[in-house]
Amino acid sequence: MSQVARLFRLSLEVITIGLLVILSVVVIAAVAFRYSGSSLIWYDEVASVLLAWITYYGAALAALNRRHLAFSGFLLSLTPPKRKVLFFISEAVVYAVFVTMAWASWFVLRVMSGETLVSLEWVSLQFTQSVVPIGCVLFILGQILSTPGAWSRVLSGRSEDLEEIESEIARQQPADPPSSISGPGAGK
Amino acid sequence: MTTALVFLVLALLVLINVPIAVAIAAAALVGTLSFKGSLGLYSAALKMFDGATSFPLIAIPLFILAGALMNTSGISRKLIDFTSALIGFVRGGLAMVNVGVSLFFAEISGSAVADVAAIGSVLIPEMKRRRYKSAFAAAITSSSASLAIIIPPSIPMILYGALSDTSIVQLFVAGILPGLLGGFAMLCFCYWFAVRHDLPREENFDLRRLWSAAKAAGPAMLLPIIILGGIFGGLVTATEGAGLAVVAALFIGIFIYRELDARQLYHALIDGVTQTAVVMLLVATSAVLGLYLTEVELPQKLAQWITETTSNRYIVLMFLNVLLLLLGTILHGAAAIILVVPIVLPLIQHVGIDPVHFGIILTLNLAIGQQTPPVASVLVTSCSIARVDIWQATKANLPLIAVLFSLLMAVTYLPFIPMTLVEIFYR
Repeated sequence: MSQVARLFRLSLEVITIGLLVILSVVVIAAVAFRYSGSSLIWYDEVASVLLAWITYYGAALAALNRRHLAFSGFLLSLTPPKRKVLFFISEAVVYAVFVTMAWASWFVLRVMSGETLVSLEWVSLQFTQSVVPIGCVLFILGQILSTPGAWSRVLSGRSEDLEEIESEIARQQPADPPSSISGPGAGK
Repeated sequence: MTTALVFLVLALLVLINVPIAVAIAAAALVGTLSFKGSLGLYSAALKMFDGATSFPLIAIPLFILAGALMNTSGISRKLIDFTSALIGFVRGGLAMVNVGVSLFFAEISGSAVADVAAIGSVLIPEMKRRRYKSAFAAAITSSSASLAIIIPPSIPMILYGALSDTSIVQLFVAGILPGLLGGFAMLCFCYWFAVRHDLPREENFDLRRLWSAAKAAGPAMLLPIIILGGIFGGLVTATEGAGLAVVAALFIGIFIYRELDARQLYHALIDGVTQTAVVMLLVATSAVLGLYLTEVELPQKLAQWITETTSNRYIVLMFLNVLLLLLGTILHGAAAIILVVPIVLPLIQHVGIDPVHFGIILTLNLAIGQQTPPVASVLVTSCSIARVDIWQATKANLPLIAVLFSLLMAVTYLPFIPMTLVEIFYR
């Protein structure tokens, strides 16, 4: 399970970073072309689609790392048996929502057959909007793969926010102190 | 009746720890299914895509990328060095350094937790070493980082601007004076605190040291001047300015500081993308909820109901401030913006409140919300670094929350504070 999760995480990381880099290049190129007097007509539409792709692939990554914003204060204040019941309900709601959205967006994709982007007629809407059903399925996978960790956190009463904060601080620890603060004159 | 059920479902799901974006989607599906049946489901699927394609929001991942590049190229350390050389000789100087660096740096990367961790892990241990109480060190780090969200470029402002169709550039300009005013008030508080607790001057003023620190920090300080100058000067849009920020941060990191750490950058990018996706999924699912609310005309009915009771804009603003302060204690900033803005926007327009003015009020409320437990991730981060109990830090933080609250009242009831620059340059 953990090896599958690692591979899944790495794949999503590569895809999302790749999309972010492409988006940056598109925006920067658009500015350069605009100032050279030949604006890119497809810039707005393509950049918006890239943002949607970052949203759904990134959302799956956030689901895998359990980073979506949530309010755990009430759940963690309950006794362990109640916590366990609510944990199952909360997981079930997530699956129900994303299974429903995956099905509905898949249906919508079939209806879109033959439609294209306005500025790039060779790019089909089925291709650009496929990110919603794919993203929903990836979200469900991320949620499944991260369930064991979330379950043990619920049992031990630890919040995901606290884990995020601890890992962020741990990453900053090796940083050197600034020279002037620890330099001559200090402590006078 | 269905609308009440929608909000009940939303509240219950948030309470049992369902991710807020998913809770919004679930509540929206309940509403839209009962209103339009399976047709509503297909509209929701379409909206899930459309909601995530808002063009102005492209600035968010780009500013986050620029922030990640800055974070990993040693810019925070150089800024701390410079600010320390500039005001470190004043009584309470180290606390002032904390305020100065936070105002400049925080909220650029979009993750307040990452920014506070970067600044606090350097400054808080140093403050403790110089006899500052841990609780105060945590409090000043946290409050000054939160104040920074009204200083451009600010991710919450971009979010508000996109949701309310308000000029992001005007929001950025409107945040400048309140931000400087709040920063000045915090510096004064640091001085008063240092005198009261007899904290020593930390170092002598040394012009040579200031010059060398200024030279080192110069390119980093030039970065926002170039970007904001471009945006305010009308040369580039906010989104293009964010793209420019990426180029500038990359150039400075690779060619001037030569400190880009690939491993750290990779982690920062992952954090940035995750942060973007978390916010954007909220935006996408709230678009589905917005679809339902528009169909049942809830925002319009709410506006009509409130304005029938009172059309006095100051009373309406007081009501909104109370609502936002309460929401801020239990919700993260992005979630609060996304939930509140579409509902209250018709009300704001109806009583004649300028949307730019309201944007600054909203952002300041969120800054205070970041300081009030139980949901106060910025305060929790600085408490973890300072190794101090969150309630002790909250006690030490009360005067700083009072500063933020006074600023909120000033901005709310003296609109010329945020609006003067906007009026001069854009109207």
